[in-house]
Amino acid sequence: MSVPKLCIDDVTIGQKLGTIDKGVMTTSHIMRWSAAVENWHRIHYDHPFATGHDKLPNVLINGSWKQHVLVQLVKDSLGPDGWLWKIKFRYKKMDVAGDTIRGAAEVVAKETVDGLGFVTLRVALTDQNGAVSTAGYAIGVLPTRGGPPVPYPFVRKSEYDAIRLPADD
Amino acid sequence: MDPPQVTEADIAKYRGMVGAPLVAPTLLEPDTLRRFVHAIMDGDALYHDVAKAKSSKFGALAAPPLYPVHAFRRAPDGADPLEMLHADPDADGSGGSDGMFFGLPPIETAFKRLLNGGNEIEFYRNLAVGERCVARARYANVNLKQGKSGTMLLVDVETEFRTEAGELLLINRQTLIWR
Repeated sequence: MSVPKLCIDDVTIGQKLGTIDKGVMTTSHIMRWSAAVENWHRIHYDHPFATGHDKLPNVLINGSWKQHVLVQLVKDSLGPDGWLWKIKFRYKKMDVAGDTIRGAAEVVAKETVDGLGFVTLRVALTDQNGAVSTAGYAIGVLPTRGGPPVPYPFVRKSEYDAIRLPADD
Repeated sequence: MDPPQVTEADIAKYRGMVGAPLVAPTLLEPDTLRRFVHAIMDGDALYHDVAKAKSSKFGALAAPPLYPVHAFRRAPDGADPLEMLHADPDADGSGGSDGMFFGLPPIETAFKRLLNGGNEIEFYRNLAVGERCVARARYANVNLKQGKSGTMLLVDVETEFRTEAGELLLINRQTLIWR
């Protein structure tokens, strides 16, 4: 059996578990996402429409794309032996072409239940000025040192019912 | 302009409503996965290296965890959402496809402004290449609320995404706010 890269035993409250950087996000990056998911809403690629019709400062970075940045942040922070179980987030402000996106995950709680480690993370995306555009929490599952691997597919158990995402800040 | 008058009677029919299962028009194909991970800029080898993916816990190339919410694109014989631009140059291009209702009838309301009130998502399994996604949504909560700026309509759409074999992939709870 291989040794897990990250165990719940390695994690401490207040630890910055991971960061992620995307950008500078250009209209081309936004258009690539819109094309990949076939979202043809013009606020994401049609500058005259976005700024003239919808009075936006520039074409808008898709909220749906930012969701994936948060998920990637947590997935990579937990490593290959962990599992992103839950995530919640709210949008605080829009991001537009020309913005840079930085994500960060910080440990706010941890516990061990039924042989598995559960780590609660505060997650946020900020722009190049440090303004938070998206914020929330996630719960990741990690093995304990010497304990069983995190099952895949992940299985809900009644023992986990008390493990809940924190209320919004 | 007077605020729209929306009553409990207008919204009660939606509460608890369950949509018909929505079946993705295509299986997850390797090229779709390639374009998707390029777009989210995730270079994880498990999304493109078949040998690594096979020896991983996924056992095959699999999509990023949240991919299933984007699996419901236009069918080969589906209506062209860009046709509307010929009739209305000011149309937004979305064709009414908002990726929120997943087979539920959209809420009909006099409120004009729709905001995303946030998401809460649980993940259980990733959709693998060659698998097809099925979504089933329900209106979990539909309530009017008095806010500082007047009445709001709060709607929670809870959508389960499964494989065709019924294996649970994820549950997405999205809060929508109309004002």
